Amino acid sequence: MSHFLFIQSQDPFTEVATSRQYQLAAELAKAGNQVQVLLVQNGVTPARKGANCPAFDALLASSVSVLADEFALRQREFGENHLRDGVQPAEIGLVVDAMLAGHKVIWN
Amino acid sequence: MNKTSPLNNTLTFAFMDPPFENERTITFFRLLDAALEKNANVRVFAYEGAVALAFARQQQHGNAVHGRDTDAENHPLTKDWIAALQRKSKDKGLSFEWINCGLCVDERGVNEAVEGCGRGGPADLWRYASESHNTLAIGTR
Amino acid sequence: MKVLQVIDQAFRTAGEEQDDTILWLTQCMRGAGAELEVLLTGHGAYYTVQSRAQPALKFGAWQQTQPADITQDIGRLREKGVPVYVEREALQERGLFGLPVLPGVEVISRDAVAKLYENADQIWHW
Repeated sequence: MSHFLFIQSQDPFTEVATSRQYQLAAELAKAGNQVQVLLVQNGVTPARKGANCPAFDALLASSVSVLADEFALRQREFGENHLRDGVQPAEIGLVVDAMLAGHKVIWN
Repeated sequence: MNKTSPLNNTLTFAFMDPPFENERTITFFRLLDAALEKNANVRVFAYEGAVALAFARQQQHGNAVHGRDTDAENHPLTKDWIAALQRKSKDKGLSFEWINCGLCVDERGVNEAVEGCGRGGPADLWRYASESHNTLAIGTR
Repeated sequence: MKVLQVIDQAFRTAGEEQDDTILWLTQCMRGAGAELEVLLTGHGAYYTVQSRAQPALKFGAWQQTQPADITQDIGRLREKGVPVYVEREALQERGLFGLPVLPGVEVISRDAVAKLYENADQIWHW
């Protein structure tokens, strides 16, 4: 079993590949790996309540842990009640934690 | 992870973007800062456009649209961010190494880099990665 | 340490650098002893069905003399023993499936990509 952290900067509204990236994360989780996705930059946009994105819905329904960079959320003025259930705000330092823990850290 | 690495708290970051073009540059520097904050030694391989991040001749300017002169605008410059991270690493007893891909420097004419930023090539990226505990590559779009 | 190089874009540097910058980087690191694999997905799939050099650029009287030849870039990687994979679905989406794939390039299904990620020590997505 491996630990994966995907730093997800691409978003599904402007980059078609994002849906596939979500699927890969879910596949790796389904295969028994520990998988986290940290949404950064415009990657946080599907995490807002009311955003319409079936691919992101599927990611949230998987066993992937989905987090959102608190700085990106502040930039886009996400209030506490704007973040979709199942998405946790996170500090960017978690990337460093993952790297130091020897996880496979991948930028999307 | 590099299972054979002798440098257990050294992290390598490879980056490609120039300054002033996109959010990735900000996130990259936030990651470098976070790495130092968590007491990791940092190694950076700047590739392609990223070699301009350390260009010593970056200059601030005023902004008439903002209604601010040069001093008031205090325009961020990535060379200053690098210097600040170098100081932070020194204060914490950590190392902060930066190599620009030399051919990328030549073709862009950004040969004057701030102190502490050296010149190298792909073999250095592999050396950095091989010796580090882990590596993150951030590509460009 | 084995690193999987993931390339999902194409032609972004072919004009000015006269190669794909990540395929070039990979060749250089291989020369330094790196253990690498390359996964071409997304638009990167185009590289695996190239048959000739890129068209030469011309601006005014300036004419490019050494346009990129991706077929050589991939050929050199293969000569150096670097596994090169292309995702079948990326070819299919782009109407490229069925064209001859460059020698030594292995076509894999999207389902197999997760296994590549699991088997690599690190994944560098450019």
